[in-house]
Amino acid sequence: MNYLQRQFHALLDHCLDERKEIRSLRKTAFDRFNQLGFPTKKWEEWQFTDFSEIRKNEYRLAWGKDLPKIPDKIPGLIPDTYSIIIINGHYQPQLTKLPTGVSVKSHEDFSQIDGDEYSLNGNQNPFLALNTALMNSEISLIVEPDSIIEKPIQIIHLTTALSDQFMNHPRLVFQIGRNSQATLVEHYIGETKIPYFVNPVTQVSIDENASLNYIRILEEDIFGCHTATTNYILKNDARLNTTSFSSGAKLFRHDIKLDFAGDGGEAVFNGLCLTEDQQHHDQHVIVDHQQNFCQSRQLFKYILAEKSSGVFNGKVVVRKNTKQTDADQSNRNLLLSPSALMNANPQLEILSDDVKCSHGSSTGELDDDAIFYLQTRGIDSETAKSLLIHGFANEIIEKVKPISIQDYIHNQFTDWLS
Amino acid sequence: MLEIKNLCAAVENKEILKGINLNVKQGEVHAIMGRNGSGKSTLANLIAGKNNYSVTSGEVYYKEKNIAAISPEDRALNGIFLSFQYPVVIPGVNTTYFLKEALNAKRRNREEEEINAADFMRLIKEKLKEVDLDETYLKRSVNDGFSGGEKKRNEILQMLILEPELAVLDETDSGLDIDALKTIAHGINQYRREDRAIILITHYQRLLKYAVPDYVHVLMNGQIVKSGGKELALELEEKGYSWLEK
Ligand SMILES: Nc1ncnc2c1ncn2[C@@H]1O[C@H](COP(=O)(O)OP(=O)(O)OP(=O)(O)O)[C@@H](O)[C@H]1O
Ligand SMILES: [Mg+2]
Repeated sequence: MNYLQRQFHALLDHCLDERKEIRSLRKTAFDRFNQLGFPTKKWEEWQFTDFSEIRKNEYRLAWGKDLPKIPDKIPGLIPDTYSIIIINGHYQPQLTKLPTGVSVKSHEDFSQIDGDEYSLNGNQNPFLALNTALMNSEISLIVEPDSIIEKPIQIIHLTTALSDQFMNHPRLVFQIGRNSQATLVEHYIGETKIPYFVNPVTQVSIDENASLNYIRILEEDIFGCHTATTNYILKNDARLNTTSFSSGAKLFRHDIKLDFAGDGGEAVFNGLCLTEDQQHHDQHVIVDHQQNFCQSRQLFKYILAEKSSGVFNGKVVVRKNTKQTDADQSNRNLLLSPSALMNANPQLEILSDDVKCSHGSSTGELDDDAIFYLQTRGIDSETAKSLLIHGFANEIIEKVKPISIQDYIHNQFTDWLS
Repeated sequence: MLEIKNLCAAVENKEILKGINLNVKQGEVHAIMGRNGSGKSTLANLIAGKNNYSVTSGEVYYKEKNIAAISPEDRALNGIFLSFQYPVVIPGVNTTYFLKEALNAKRRNREEEEINAADFMRLIKEKLKEVDLDETYLKRSVNDGFSGGEKKRNEILQMLILEPELAVLDETDSGLDIDALKTIAHGINQYRREDRAIILITHYQRLLKYAVPDYVHVLMNGQIVKSGGKELALELEEKGYSWLEK
């Protein structure tokens, strides 16, 4: 028996009172995971990422007793936001602040949650199956129809003060009701010196004419491995604006899928990955244009230092007989060291004629001519380099709204640079 | 102010400068003319401190000091300025921010306080007028999407703000319409002073009509083959360069 099997059985014993649909869902999912196994170099969509760290480390699931003393100051808290705090996998209702129009359900209400959102539907991502089998931390957030939520809602997953190697499989469901507007921040922070593993699955659905501004911040500790799956479903005229800012984790893999399930949807993805040391960040994005008049924009940037590596794999699919699709995908990477490595593979799969599509990828180093130009203006070469790196990142950072979140990301970026 | 002695430089084993001698004193304006590929920009870049050339022999003295080991930024802080033939785009770096950084680097070097925002805006608005640019350029990234002429004005703008002692202007007049040429010449004359020196690299007599040089030099095959007064530029315009070939 491997560690995952032991943990799975322990979980089933622990949650004897769970609804039987959920129990059978867990079993099906675990069977699926065992069939699939951890990805190997032979799997085309996973070939550049080595998961042996997660396979070998014997993580255990976090339980109630793993809840440490709540820190006086929660790290990463952005001023002027509503907040939902999860510490070592445990939701802290007493720290939750939410406006009217927004409700949240957690693990305790899990038995009431509709099983549909959890079904695997033939998905072949082993980390999704693993999450479904082992999910031990659930948050379901619902924004009621016709609600304008002015302030951002920040969901912090903090991993801190571990006693031994552990793992968490958070399950997040976000539903944005018709005509509503909200900003959500999904924020992962780690502060520990012990290896850990976080494997969240986030399901986002945006109803008719609703709009979601969604920011994902990854600041896991360098001892953490983070594999994530995010699925978006956009109904008619729904709008999604996402920013992902990822600087943490030893290993980060993110599978993002967006389905336009109605006409007139708009989706914007902006991403900034910062890696150093031996970090590895791998993002796979699929945007599926299966309806008419939909627009998608992607801009993913990586800044890779030292011996770190990155993977970007983006795919835009435009289905047969769809009308007036407008899709753009762009990936730009900056290598700060000769040992840094980037693998980029932007793809288009276009089966309709009525499209406007573009895509491109480029990887380069800092421009020596630009450094010289700045030097001739009296700016020393270190400052010049940092200005250029800043300039490269700014294209993503300056688009982040509201300004409180932009400032937070900007500060974290500046810290990373120095 | 600037003394170049027998300067020889090569790139990838190709000799480009083959013994340049040039002496520029305070208050003087020197024009350097010459065919494409004769080594004018190479000379300008070497004065500014670009390090991808190998200097095989010779020296450059600035304010009586050999500057071989001085970095480009320290040369700039000590008063050398290069207006680029091809100004470089700096994506994502806002022009105002860049100008302020550059000015403050100079002020810090002189142990002065950094300029405050209000004074800076006042200064920049005044100088923008001199080069006939409007304030919208300040909000854009440095040279990003600027037209050829706008880039050149931006170079002169920087010269006026940074107030160098030695300005090397590499084809700042190329690709300009006639009004822009006058604007640039006006900027140069505005800058010209008894305690400053200018090296004007150009292909055309027309700039020299407005910004009149004290000396004109012809660079050919990496050497200065002829020097003279401002009339030499006229002669070159008439006769071309072939009569100077050995
Ligand atoms: N990095 C380099 N690698 C190879 N050759 C170079 C390099 N830099 C300059 N050269 C060569 O050196 C010679 C002189 O170039 P330079 O740019 O100094 O000429 P120039 O006089 O400024 O010409 P123009 O009037 O066209 O601006 C050219 O033949 C050019 O191709
Ligand atoms: Mg030139």
